[in-house]
Amino acid sequence: MKKLIAFALVMMMVLSVFGGALAADDGYLSVMLGTNVMSLDTHLATDGDSFEVIADCIDGLMQMDASGAAIPAIAESYDLSEDGKTYTFHLRDAQWANGTPVTANDFVFAWRRICELNGEYAFMFDTSVGCVKNADSILYEGADPATLGVSAPDAKTLVVELEVPVSFFPALMYFPTFYPINEAFYTSLEDGAYATGPDTFLSNGAFILEEYTPGAASFSLKKNEGYWDAARVQLPGLHYQVVTSSDNALSAFKAGQLDLVIISGNQVAAAEKDASLSSKLNVTGAGYLWYLSFSQTEKNAQGGMLANTNLRRAISYCLDRESFVEDFVMDGSIPTFTAVPPQFAASSTTGEDFSADQEMFKDLCDYDEDKAQEYFEKACEELGVSEFSFTMVFENNSGEEIIKVAQAIKESVEEVLPGIEIKLAPMTKAERLDKMQNDNFDIGLTRWGPDYADPMTYLGMWITDNSNNYGFWSNAEYDAIIADCTTGAYISDYDARWAAMYEAERLVLEDAVIAPLYTKANAKLVVDGVEGIEYHPVALNRVYKNAVKK
Amino acid sequence: MQAMTKYILKRVGLAALTLLIIVFLLFTLVRIMPGNPFPSERMNDTAIALKRAEMGLDDPILVQFGRYMANLAQGDFGKGTSLYYGAPINSVLGTCINNSFRIGGIAVVIGSLVGLLLGICAALNRGKFLDAFCTVFSILGVCVPSYVFMIFLQYNFAYQMPLLPYFFDAKQFLRSSIIPVISLSLFTMSTIARFTRNEMIEVIDSDYVRLAESKGLFGNQLIRRHVLRNALIPIVTVLAPLIVDLLTGALVVEKIYGINGIGKLMVDSIAGEAVDYNYVLALGILYSSLYIGVMLVVDILYGVLDPRIRVSAKGGAR
Amino acid sequence: MSDISVKNEYTPVKEDFELLEQRDINTDKNFASQSYWKGVAIHFFRNRRAVVGLVIVAMMILLAVFAPMLSGYQYDISVKAPNEKGKMKKAIGIPPRVPAIHEMVTGEKYDDIFSDLTLIFGTDDNGRDLWTRVWHGARVSLLIAFVTIIIDMIIGMSYGLISGYFGGMTDNIMQRIVEIANSIPRLVIVSVLAIFMAKGISLVIVALLLTEWIGMSKIARAEMLKMKEQEYVLASRTLGARNGHIIFKEILPNTIGPIITQVMFSIPTAIFTEAFLSFVGVGIVPPECSIGTLISDGFNNITTLTYQIIPPIIVLALLMLGFNFIGDGLREALAPKLEDM
Repeated sequence: MKKLIAFALVMMMVLSVFGGALAADDGYLSVMLGTNVMSLDTHLATDGDSFEVIADCIDGLMQMDASGAAIPAIAESYDLSEDGKTYTFHLRDAQWANGTPVTANDFVFAWRRICELNGEYAFMFDTSVGCVKNADSILYEGADPATLGVSAPDAKTLVVELEVPVSFFPALMYFPTFYPINEAFYTSLEDGAYATGPDTFLSNGAFILEEYTPGAASFSLKKNEGYWDAARVQLPGLHYQVVTSSDNALSAFKAGQLDLVIISGNQVAAAEKDASLSSKLNVTGAGYLWYLSFSQTEKNAQGGMLANTNLRRAISYCLDRESFVEDFVMDGSIPTFTAVPPQFAASSTTGEDFSADQEMFKDLCDYDEDKAQEYFEKACEELGVSEFSFTMVFENNSGEEIIKVAQAIKESVEEVLPGIEIKLAPMTKAERLDKMQNDNFDIGLTRWGPDYADPMTYLGMWITDNSNNYGFWSNAEYDAIIADCTTGAYISDYDARWAAMYEAERLVLEDAVIAPLYTKANAKLVVDGVEGIEYHPVALNRVYKNAVKK
Repeated sequence: MQAMTKYILKRVGLAALTLLIIVFLLFTLVRIMPGNPFPSERMNDTAIALKRAEMGLDDPILVQFGRYMANLAQGDFGKGTSLYYGAPINSVLGTCINNSFRIGGIAVVIGSLVGLLLGICAALNRGKFLDAFCTVFSILGVCVPSYVFMIFLQYNFAYQMPLLPYFFDAKQFLRSSIIPVISLSLFTMSTIARFTRNEMIEVIDSDYVRLAESKGLFGNQLIRRHVLRNALIPIVTVLAPLIVDLLTGALVVEKIYGINGIGKLMVDSIAGEAVDYNYVLALGILYSSLYIGVMLVVDILYGVLDPRIRVSAKGGAR
Repeated sequence: MSDISVKNEYTPVKEDFELLEQRDINTDKNFASQSYWKGVAIHFFRNRRAVVGLVIVAMMILLAVFAPMLSGYQYDISVKAPNEKGKMKKAIGIPPRVPAIHEMVTGEKYDDIFSDLTLIFGTDDNGRDLWTRVWHGARVSLLIAFVTIIIDMIIGMSYGLISGYFGGMTDNIMQRIVEIANSIPRLVIVSVLAIFMAKGISLVIVALLLTEWIGMSKIARAEMLKMKEQEYVLASRTLGARNGHIIFKEILPNTIGPIITQVMFSIPTAIFTEAFLSFVGVGIVPPECSIGTLISDGFNNITTLTYQIIPPIIVLALLMLGFNFIGDGLREALAPKLEDM
């Protein structure tokens, strides 16, 4: 037996000695990804991690600067017509990694393709967001994609026509859905093979795919020497590693395997206590708002009990958002008392964040046991019932902390309002969506990340008949405000629109359509000597174009 | 011999039929599973309807099944409905099989050999320290999940003593497979060690070994010729499903150690973002063909280990 | 011939006969009144390790029943204490502590607001007492363990023995059914079942019922294939024994060794299956817990708060040690060949 152990040890030593260096010292930045990259095809990608990698490799018309503002990328400049409905982008001399120039036609091709294939993010073109001309009729009425309001008068000019003026349209252009695809390259590939490996993917951006297979747990990118702004890019390459456990991320960082990891919960607490780690810890906003959604239809919640506003507000008053963040999430997430989370939508006139003032609606959803009981009594009176039992659905694979938060919600609601019982129902994302979309839940613990830097990415969800309005709340006043803000009276009056959106937000919170909980942040550990990584809560979470690794 | 060939041919034919039933059952079951194949928070109903039509999910199930089988006959698993969209399953599966089979294969070999050795040593030293060690080792080996053991190895041999890579790296396959191989083989090792020890003891106590001993046989020859051979039948039986399980990947170990393998793919396709019909089917077919194949080998092995056994024969009231 | 003796024919009467059973000539006085099972029991209790195993399992059961009641905490409610401002704070992630011992050793009190609380295994991420949770969870896992034993012993064993014994077409069909049952991923079956029945422990048990017996049936079948060719089976058959008798009375006792070993090894597998099903949301639902889910919860903090994963693993290991000792004892007591007869 001793011999056996000795043999095993010797084998281990031999293998490790002759195996060469452990981590290749190639100057690449090793970065953790929280989930698999689902697709590198702009039409199919739906998650932040995929978007990040696509943006590493492809440049759109615009790009994000360190503060999150849109600055020119492939477009050298753009003109806006007087009615605010026609954008003309002037393209610079950039080229694809195979040497062909990036032309306006690459954008026309990619945009038409997205509208034709009607993927998850095709809605970015329709009248709820981008308002590109004829997008609605192509997407929902089957019109010819060639009618889309985008054209290329010459190779370096791209003209985009909109249905109505969209104040944040240039900022949309850094979102991967609006990125170009080289038509000749795309059509030379087999059907469906696009973006499944280094040979089937063409970059025009800072990096090119070096090694990648769909679903890969690790892959790498290398610097694109032919990038139009190659002088700015300092990193020789990036190495991505998918790590799904916070604890493992912390150990991998400590072992020097990864240069940048995201941790949460107890691992943050441990890193704060560790002197050598606490200096490397920093927190940036991740954008996601976690909230409770209440089903208000008669089908659910004991025959629609949650349609009672007082009952919803009573539940909302039970929730100690500060404790959730401090005790369970622990990663610097912000307790949130507004329906639009802070940190992502800054006013373009004042530059102030839309939800910077968290006190504004605090009396509508702060933790307050007395108010909770008061509203609960009112609700019981109105409904003639005093015992309730609700099922709360949530995902079990979107972070360890949410399972803890769900249990804490149950515990505190049941403690403050003994008449309510909350049954937890953890499930996969597919099942949760199925339940919520088919109106088959009482309370949903869920999250929403901003798709673009405007409060409408949240407020637009609660209008009547929106597919994300899972609770089926309906308020004519609210619908009118939102219509005015998107396509109606306020589209050309920025300040009036801004003020109207606060009014809409008040309606949401007064009626407790949702109970906001917290805005997710990312607690990161970054190794010393790495600088210049830009973090954004919206669209592209991390940008490495200015990153340096010493 | 001819009877054997006939038997194998018959079994292979039956296997094809079994596989067909399995595929059909799976095909139907995944469509009943809660959660639709396009779990999109942003797509509207029109878009989803279009996608369903494109994938042919609204056709009668038999039509869908026929279409699927027609593709399958050409060795084409199709494309994922929601996972790693676009990429042909064949190519994604190829990489995963490559990783999982290699790591699982080594784990099976090491696990069963060490387990066998440990079991034999324990049986020969019955009641002594080694025997007690074997008992405790096998109990711990099944009580500590392989992923917990893997973290232990990762923490000690990749972090505290940085001898081995922290994550799997296909470029240095051998070194980066040491940690997962050891942790995966632990369960097999414990199970085999325990079965071997118990079986050996039973055989050692049996009359015919006593007889052999009294005829002057002893040592290695006795162990090899009489004891081990008779003890092997249950060992082969337990080992068979373990081989299939290890080859088709360990869910958590692959996920944590960053191995792009079958187990990880399985979790992603059932419990991930969506239920991916085609991946579940492809993996189900892979798993059942392996299982059926290994079981056929086991049935043949019985006859080799003990010539009196003929699985093909009718039993009972002959 | 018969003609001759006809006249002297004697008709036997009842009194001429005596029942053999009443005569007591063949019974060994030493073991005179022993039935088979009594013999087994005597052998079992003479085995020191078996008794130790029995004591361990009994202790575990007692703790699982009483410890959560006596701990002073509840498994689903967090431990709280007021901080300086009078706000109730949850005792999140407190390592094991017994203030009395700590004070004896260091002479100091714990320097936090939870200084008076005795937390033998510490607290979990939601601030709940782990000692209470581990024993509460042991209830679920013990239930799973016993259900597994029953499934193995009743379904798995009979299925395998019958399949192996009859062989031929019967075996062929029965084995194909096993292949089909084993090939559908468990998660798929359970998810579909979850549509028809409530999620929870009963669903887990149904899931185990569907597939957990397969390993055992394979072992039983292999043993049967080996045994049915042996001479004593042929002898029994020649004497006219029926199939049922041969399978369960003749062969079964001779195959008990590997069967018991298999039962022992299927218990932890079943416990982890339950944890996996719970993890993906089709098993037990938090704040309810089991040894398996406590291990996977502790796994989230394995290097940062290692104390969380150790108690459930130790409890499981002790439980398995106990079961294995009992199994070994039973095997030796049941198998007639072993030396210590």
